[in-house]
Amino acid sequence: MGTQRYLVGKIGQALITLLFILTFNFFLFRILPGDPIRLLTKGAGQRLTPTEQQQLREELGVDRSVFPGQYLLYMGQTLRLDLGVSSIVAPGEEVTTVFFEKLPKTLFLVGTSTAASIAIGVILGIYGGWRRGGAMDMSSMTGSLVLYSIPEFVLGIMLLLLFSGWLGLFPSGGFESATGDLTGIDRLFDILSHAFLPWLTLTLAFIGEFYLVMRSSLLDVLGEEYISLARAKGLREKWVLRKHAVRNALLPTVTLIALSFGFVLGGAITVELVFSYPGVGLQSFEALEARDYALLQGTFLFFSVGVLVANLIADLLYAYIDPRVRTA
Amino acid sequence: MRTIRRAMATVVAIGMVAGLGLAGTAFAQDTSPSDEKISFVIGTTTGLPTVNPFRGLTAETYYVLSLQYDLMINFAKDDLSAAPGLATEWESSEDGLTWTITTRDGVTWHDGEPFTAEDIEFTFNTILENETGSFIDYFPNVESIEAVDDNTLVWTATEPTIAPVIPPWVYILPKHIWEPLGSYADMRNFANFPDTIGTGPFQLTEFVRGETWTLTKNEDYWAGAPIVDEIVVRKFNNEEAMVSALRQGEIDYISSVSVNLFNSLEGAEGITTHVGPATGFDQMSFNMCDADTTLAGYCEKNPGTGNPALRDPVVRQAISKVIDRDALVERVLGGYGEPGSTIVPPFAAQWHTPPTSDTQAYDPAGAAQMLEDAGYVDTDGDGVRETPDGEPMKFRFFLRSESDENQKSGEFIADWLTDLGIATTITVGSTDELTDIWYEHDFDLYIWGWGPDPDPDFILSTYTSGQCGVWSDTCFSDADYDELYDAQQVATSVEERQQIVGEMQDIVYDQVPEVVLFYNNTLEAYRSDRWEGLVQSPEPQGFLLGQYTPYSELTLQPLGFGGTDGGGTSGGDSGIPIGVWLGIIGGVIAIVVIVALVRRGRSEEDLA
Repeated sequence: MGTQRYLVGKIGQALITLLFILTFNFFLFRILPGDPIRLLTKGAGQRLTPTEQQQLREELGVDRSVFPGQYLLYMGQTLRLDLGVSSIVAPGEEVTTVFFEKLPKTLFLVGTSTAASIAIGVILGIYGGWRRGGAMDMSSMTGSLVLYSIPEFVLGIMLLLLFSGWLGLFPSGGFESATGDLTGIDRLFDILSHAFLPWLTLTLAFIGEFYLVMRSSLLDVLGEEYISLARAKGLREKWVLRKHAVRNALLPTVTLIALSFGFVLGGAITVELVFSYPGVGLQSFEALEARDYALLQGTFLFFSVGVLVANLIADLLYAYIDPRVRTA
Repeated sequence: MRTIRRAMATVVAIGMVAGLGLAGTAFAQDTSPSDEKISFVIGTTTGLPTVNPFRGLTAETYYVLSLQYDLMINFAKDDLSAAPGLATEWESSEDGLTWTITTRDGVTWHDGEPFTAEDIEFTFNTILENETGSFIDYFPNVESIEAVDDNTLVWTATEPTIAPVIPPWVYILPKHIWEPLGSYADMRNFANFPDTIGTGPFQLTEFVRGETWTLTKNEDYWAGAPIVDEIVVRKFNNEEAMVSALRQGEIDYISSVSVNLFNSLEGAEGITTHVGPATGFDQMSFNMCDADTTLAGYCEKNPGTGNPALRDPVVRQAISKVIDRDALVERVLGGYGEPGSTIVPPFAAQWHTPPTSDTQAYDPAGAAQMLEDAGYVDTDGDGVRETPDGEPMKFRFFLRSESDENQKSGEFIADWLTDLGIATTITVGSTDELTDIWYEHDFDLYIWGWGPDPDPDFILSTYTSGQCGVWSDTCFSDADYDELYDAQQVATSVEERQQIVGEMQDIVYDQVPEVVLFYNNTLEAYRSDRWEGLVQSPEPQGFLLGQYTPYSELTLQPLGFGGTDGGGTSGGDSGIPIGVWLGIIGGVIAIVVIVALVRRGRSEEDLA
């Protein structure tokens, strides 16, 4: 019973949050200066007659008042799972199609880099917590704090200048070489060499987060009485660490990991921008520039759903691995 | 459990071995000679949203369309006058009302269907019936456009006209593809990809949204097949990345480069820079939206907040006279431009008429005197003049954050205005913000730019009264000007039209609704260590690529083409750098370590 109520409660919360997000996203983008039609004509130099402008306004629904007209239209469509069509970035294409077209590229980049950050951060964190104050701990602590505090895009630009601009080891951006005449293995390596610098940027930037959480949580656990007991039983130190300390210390990290995967969908707008990496992040930036409201709303809805689902999974996972949460 | 662990370990091991194996193959292949297709890669920073000509068009869309389709009458390579395109001959009746146009025989669409005069008839009539904004200006006073047989098109106008040979910048679409779509709304929503069918030297064959457009050569092109196999247009998000890609040889050509980056490329190994023509201009606009004087009535409903002092031509003239155009060209454009004067750039040599008066000639002392004489005097000694009504001369001045040139010009001008006794408050905003400010007429001064056609009709139209609230920067309104605009559309000879267009330039120059600051050159750069055969159009100073009718794309070829070296951009150029290997190996090691840890942990547990 308790588990079920917990589950229903969490899902209910998520749905309410989603409704709030829908509304928030809608108004957020409309507060921005600039009207999509004016940006097309005066801004981008497209020659539309006043009649054409009016037609386009009607097509995009921006001839209605923002509230309640456009808002109700948007909420109605969204609740019917119709995210509309992109107006400017991909004129006439379904938002869902446009979004999922770019999603694999982002998942590939952000997914693998998140996994790498987790692996490296957690391992360093365990080591640091266990050998607290040692040379390894001090250097990973300094290193990860520095990387963690540098904004991703600054780190990205530094790596870009160094490895691409100066050393010329990597291409400066894009998903693959433009000529498109590579196949099979060659193409795979071409893609990897394009993804490497943004991947490295993201990996380095997020190691610190996992390192710090893992380390401090391990330190907490190591101070617990049952660790003393385990040691008193005469168990080997490594055994104490693995069996008793790390397992319990992983709890907060698991939450963090689940949450991080929620952000994979949202990708890394800034890093994608720096490296011209054509994922959903970059596309959302283009949509923002062009005031492609439908695509913006759709994209941010997917981003939010990603985070919400990850949150939900974190909650559920937590309840599963730590019985105290369920009963509390 | 144990089986699973074994399986995992095996997978990791296989992964590592495979990775190393692949490394060997990749390096081995790097050294093999490239006999791939010849690809020319163009960098761009503007979007590539659609190839449907009935949708609004950006510069990049125009570029792709210009290779994909043909015009009825081309722009000549040297002077952009009428040259044979899909039409081979044309002649006008004595009264100038009827044009008979003969179309080319033996041209086929990319899908093999024959091209006929009916395709032109269909394209032009669709535009006329639906008033397509991008093209409608090319068809003044048309009564009918009809294909009388497969090779003859008859264009009839209600007033004498030279419109057919200006020529209309309209891409001819295949009737057999577009007509079955049904209504104009359906045509507008047509993706036009895949199977983009045109008659042009290239066909769009691949389109990765927001990334690349690939155009493949048309072996059967009527003017002869291009040498390169494909042209790829690749999108970058910022100019710096694009320039760096050119340096590294990832791309072969870039255009519209800003002055600083262009200078940084000069003398770079393997790269040739080219100063193209000055087709566009930057202008400083005055808010003239005035409920009482604007003809079209727009400003009665939307008066905006413009400072009334700017409605006095003396004030505008004085402001223009303190702007040192030569200094701007030198210090803002680094010399890559010409000082501004009239609204038709000298690039359009046939239509540009140098000013006949010295209304806007540089003369700071004269400007101060003009203001004194008109009663704009600093009465309270704060260094800022007051209007005859006692209001201080303070103007809001908007500059675009996207344009370095805008901001630099603005700062110079603000200084010169301070010397004249006029205060300005500069706001630097994004294009987005500025479009709103412009639309609401919520400004006094702003700087923006225009990139006109070789034909002056469109740029001239933006100064007519009816354009207030549509295209007009300033809501300038002048009855004589409006009449002349209509008159130039029905001029029956080039000389007559030149005369009228000249008068129109004079009116705008003398009334100063805007100050044309400079005409800026289009700056281009390409990999001359790999390519040759780029030609200029128009001549003598033209574009290398992005020409009104594409010529370079037909002659472009790898350096020493036909010799031993195939040349061209091969995708393998970037190689597989050592860093990738470090990355991959690092990743694999991390996984192995994790697996090992888990295994060891578990096995101890099993033992315990």
